[in-house]
Amino acid sequence: MAIDRDLELMLAVRRGDASSFEELLHRYRGPLVGYFSRMLRDPAMAEDLAQETFMRVYQARERYEPDAKFTTWLYRIATNLALNALRDRKEVTPPFEQDFEGEASEPRDASRIPDARPTAEQALMESERQRIIRQAVESLPERQRAAVVLHKYQDVDYRQIAKVLGVSESAVKSMLFRAYEALRLRLEPLLEEGRL
Amino acid sequence: MNCMEREQLFAYVHRMLEGREEETVRGHLEECAHCRGAVAELHKLDAVLDEWKPREPSAWFDARVKATIAAAERQKAVQGFLAWPWARAIAAAVALLALIVAGLLVFRTREPIETTRPLAQKEQPAVQQPAETPKAPGQTVAQSQPAATQPGQAPSVEDEITMYENLGILEDYELLAGFDVLSELPMGEKKVAN
Repeated sequence: MAIDRDLELMLAVRRGDASSFEELLHRYRGPLVGYFSRMLRDPAMAEDLAQETFMRVYQARERYEPDAKFTTWLYRIATNLALNALRDRKEVTPPFEQDFEGEASEPRDASRIPDARPTAEQALMESERQRIIRQAVESLPERQRAAVVLHKYQDVDYRQIAKVLGVSESAVKSMLFRAYEALRLRLEPLLEEGRL
Repeated sequence: MNCMEREQLFAYVHRMLEGREEETVRGHLEECAHCRGAVAELHKLDAVLDEWKPREPSAWFDARVKATIAAAERQKAVQGFLAWPWARAIAAAVALLALIVAGLLVFRTREPIETTRPLAQKEQPAVQQPAETPKAPGQTVAQSQPAATQPGQAPSVEDEITMYENLGILEDYELLAGFDVLSELPMGEKKVAN
């Protein structure tokens, strides 16, 4: 079972087994780079933060306690880094409005989305449909975006997401519902194309 | 028949409902075409979102992680060592010792220069003394030096050369003439001529 294997590996890392850390690196480098690139878009920053996550995992190995899934712990570190990076980026751009729940809401003007232009490499790589999906996800408030990316792309269930984000499970359910509803509206043209 | 809330249908699709709630929704969907349509739409959205492919890590990702960790560990080891008071004392002692050794080395390399300088400086009064007597035009400093060193006066460079010229072994040049190197010396030729 994958979860048990993660725990075994992490406990071995705690004992100083370098090969176990390499296996964890091999298992989660792809998911982490994917997570950060979906959260931040900037490929270089995505790699840097994935690297930073692994470094923090390694540095905290002696304090690791197997009382939760390894992925919960891993994505808590990663999500904190991603949200901090988004906040740092936002400091140089006009802030998003805050809604009544304390979450950042959508910007009034689409041109105010930070770093909205794709890089040359991205423009070549991604299809038009992928670009629309990316922009739809990026339009979500930060914590909603984190919840959706974790839920949809990282295969993290809502109970784990609650622990990662430090909120209740019912709050996560509500957050995910609102996020998916927003995505459904934004992606309506793709849903109607019937090319699926 | 009343349709279900969209949030409940969403929770059903994403397996967020407990057993009994899930059964209720499943039962409702068997009878309600409208809610089945809503569920189908949610599945469709899920499929559209799948089109957004993840970015792959670069080829050098693992190497960068390992290098960063190794650098951090080295730094941590140094900081950990210096955290101990006795380690700090040892580091300070080593630094002090290195400073002393460096100082000694500098002093020793400069020593010959410092010993010859006073000799050269002490030549000055000796040169200037005969200035009281009229000096012949074109007379050099060396020519104006006294031939012998006065008692209590430090030997000049020329005195040292003279001393070496008068070493006993050089007197026995017949013995040394067999050495090619010595025979090439102009001083040696001079001795032979003498």
